Amino acid sequence: MDLFPQFLANGLVMGVFYALSALGLTLIFGLMRVVNFAHGEFYMLGGVSGWFVTNYLGLDFFSGLIVVAAFMAAVGWLVDRFLIERVRGQGEEPGILLTIGLSIFLVNGTLLLVGPAPMKVAGAVAEGPLFFGPIAVTKLRLLAVGVGIALIVGAHLLIRRTRLGAAMRATFQDPMAASLAGIRTGHVYAATFALGCTLAALSGMLLASIYSAQASVGGLISLKSFVVVILGGMGSFAGAIAGGLLLGVAEAMWGGYVSMGMVDVIGFVLVILILLFRPQGLFSIRTERA
Amino acid sequence: MRNVVLGGLLLTGVAASVPAQAQDTVRIGLVQPLTGSVAYNGKSVVEGARLAVEEMNAAGGVLGKKIELIVEDGQCTPANSVNAVEKLVQKDKVVTLVGAFCSSATAAIMPVAQKYKLPLITGVSSKASLTEQGNPYFFRAAETDALMAEAFAKILANDLKLTKVAYIGVNDDWGRGGVEEFSRDLTALGVKTVLTEYFDHGATDFFTLLTKLRAAKPDGVFVAAETQDGSILVKQIREMGLDTKVFGVGSWATADFINLTGEAAEGIHAAVPYASSMDTPRNQTFVQKYQAKYGIKPGKYGAAGYNALNIAGQAIARAGGTDAEAIRASLAKTSYEAPNGVYKFTDKGQAYGFDAVLVRIEKGEPKVIASTPVDAPH
Repeated sequence: MDLFPQFLANGLVMGVFYALSALGLTLIFGLMRVVNFAHGEFYMLGGVSGWFVTNYLGLDFFSGLIVVAAFMAAVGWLVDRFLIERVRGQGEEPGILLTIGLSIFLVNGTLLLVGPAPMKVAGAVAEGPLFFGPIAVTKLRLLAVGVGIALIVGAHLLIRRTRLGAAMRATFQDPMAASLAGIRTGHVYAATFALGCTLAALSGMLLASIYSAQASVGGLISLKSFVVVILGGMGSFAGAIAGGLLLGVAEAMWGGYVSMGMVDVIGFVLVILILLFRPQGLFSIRTERA
Repeated sequence: MRNVVLGGLLLTGVAASVPAQAQDTVRIGLVQPLTGSVAYNGKSVVEGARLAVEEMNAAGGVLGKKIELIVEDGQCTPANSVNAVEKLVQKDKVVTLVGAFCSSATAAIMPVAQKYKLPLITGVSSKASLTEQGNPYFFRAAETDALMAEAFAKILANDLKLTKVAYIGVNDDWGRGGVEEFSRDLTALGVKTVLTEYFDHGATDFFTLLTKLRAAKPDGVFVAAETQDGSILVKQIREMGLDTKVFGVGSWATADFINLTGEAAEGIHAAVPYASSMDTPRNQTFVQKYQAKYGIKPGKYGAAGYNALNIAGQAIARAGGTDAEAIRASLAKTSYEAPNGVYKFTDKGQAYGFDAVLVRIEKGEPKVIASTPVDAPH
């Protein structure tokens, strides 16, 4: 039992990053009906471009974070305008095929440009242990978690308190009516996709400062983000946060008390349980479109 | 597209009508993972292989011809590796095969090599059972986990004075094999096992695992992990404030591992078949050339690619022709002077005789603290 606080802390730390990454996915899915299989690759690009700006351009971590956010928002915007827009309104399958293709392109493009070596993003603070009673964390982790929570709050405020957020919510509820009311839905879609990509990328950069980034990391992150989105409910903001924390803690407990070797299984076990007993997800109340 | 089809038809037509001897190069096929989670290590093998071919060609090639290295991406998966071998044999008409990286992929291409009666050399795959299958065309120019454990268990138990050890391995044939072999040999020497855990490839957060490690209070932890997983794990061991001794197998003595791990690498031990700091004249030349070409010191996998290609090239030269049976027969008589000792093969195609070393990372350099020849398995 004395290990429990440490397991819980480990799980909550990972949970914040899962939530941040899944938030981007659930926005894109909830609003745009795009099942984005390239989501993990945007996460990966965040880590790789974070490595590039801190390592080669010599920016400090926080300036780097801002540059990466701007860069990835632009990438997301362009991807929507030039690719996703072409399959809009044609159902979900063309979008799935398109994003699978995009993910293969991004992984191999990254391999070609920077090679398969793991890349370390220079962190904002020194590494080294920090103890709170029986719990060991690091300054770097605490900082990354803090930035992660700030980003989640920021995204929430953006959606709840800004004109763009209002336009997003309106488009989410009824694209046709939003369009008739004068909302330029094309721009709203592009902005949503850009925001989703940016959140994934920032999660990737934060984690790459603790671990490292590599061209091939996206696949697992995509899967976990889908797990979180299904747990929390498609398109639900609160659900993504709860789902992320739940997955992080569940993995930590499973790894701690059962087996580390099967830790990636627990997410799918949770998904099966949710699909059996609460198919709309923990938080979603909208099921007719999901 | 039409051109490709026409070209393909022409190629097969030409290849069918002209005997293989008419090629103006001697072709060797290399299958490695160039994409996927071990692409990074596969790339090192290819770098080492290219250096070996370059050297041999500068010295006049073999059989009066240049060696041509044809590299295919097998992705470390059985299916893709088999496809790659089929392509190398059918289209490129290679005379010898080298590969693959992961033991499971090598196991899959072994019967293909046997079907075409082509010699196959692996410089990496270490699952012990591969050489037990009685495939006469297969040669392993690498250590097995069992041989490494046998070579180092005593040094670990006696010199590092370990009494309670925790074992952590990556969750595949290689990681599980390494943990099992080392724990068996160490247990036989009276070392107690306090924890055995496996994690998946590409895992990033080890805090949960390390929480259990901290509770188990070992005085040494054995780790079987590759560059990326291993470096993250070692860093987190220090982040958790654990000061247990760490020793590992895998690509731990490489410059990349040390760079990625940073300060946390200081003082850890690794049992490896090759370290750039091995103190032989042959190795110093190799390191110099490798560093000049790639700007980085060679590690275990760079050396593995270099050795496998040299073994192949020398065997072809001794065979006096590209007949597969002759190459196979001359491979069996290998006595290759590598940067890390002399490689010979047992009747089953298992290499022995080369040196393996225990290194300690000091000031960012792998310092050799013990060296022992790898014996033939018995």
